[in-house]
Amino acid sequence: MKKYDNKIIFTGPVGAGKTTAIGAISDIPPITTDAAASDMTLNRKGYTTVALDYGVLNLDERTKVHLYGTPGQERFDFMWEILSTGGIGLILLLDNSRPNPVKDMQFFMQAFQDFLKHAPVVIGVTKTDIKAAPSTDAYAEILEKVGMRPPIFEIDGRNRDDVKNLVMALLFSIDPGLQG
Amino acid sequence: MREQMLKSILSDLNGASADIEASAIISADGLTMAALLPQDVDEDRVGAMAAAMLSLGERTARELTRGELEQVMVKGENGYILMSHAGKDAVLTVIARKEAKLGLIFLDAKRAAKSISEIL
Repeated sequence: MKKYDNKIIFTGPVGAGKTTAIGAISDIPPITTDAAASDMTLNRKGYTTVALDYGVLNLDERTKVHLYGTPGQERFDFMWEILSTGGIGLILLLDNSRPNPVKDMQFFMQAFQDFLKHAPVVIGVTKTDIKAAPSTDAYAEILEKVGMRPPIFEIDGRNRDDVKNLVMALLFSIDPGLQG
Repeated sequence: MREQMLKSILSDLNGASADIEASAIISADGLTMAALLPQDVDEDRVGAMAAAMLSLGERTARELTRGELEQVMVKGENGYILMSHAGKDAVLTVIARKEAKLGLIFLDAKRAAKSISEIL
């Protein structure tokens, strides 16, 4: 029986819920590399990812999805490059409660533009309960202007089904024939 | 004040051996607290890399049941980079020439790390 190993990457700004999302769907205890925050991150949370998060989602007996989460701060951009090597798709998590989530989106789309030339992206917007705007339509409209139409969802990063939907949407956009 | 004290530890360290070319003290989340690095080196990137390396080293040591991490060493064609904990929340990074006597560097770094952890 042929086995399928897929690698996808979770990225996005500090506090968007990358570590939480991977923890929510991983079938193994996730590997995390948290360190006590001493920068601006401290206003949002006490710990921050400094190298990577890793988890595994077993879709069925032969399909394994390796989940890699990046650090959020720009000073770790070398990890973004290291982690995205060999990836088949990107999940971008945006935190709607941050001051300028649209700018965050544009920043990360730009930072991963080489990767996105050969791999699709799915966007998950978190913390919409704290701040409802911008809506997913608003994000879509902005991306449409630069010719991008990625799937965009409102999600709760703590909710396994929400996060799994994101992963499924990403895998569907890679292989529309996939059985869910 | 604290930065001055940290810097003086670093300059003692750099002075302790001609083989030590540069050193820096970095918070566990990758921000430089004090550094004596060559001018063309970006402190922020060095800081972030040291934090990432040490954190991965810690996880690796734990996964492979080697206990608490003491240090991470990287060797390149042109020399060594040694990263070790200085207390729980800081990382001491030492950059040494390829001719360096490692035992002496370890010893100097260990001493400096101890003084740093006492200040922090």
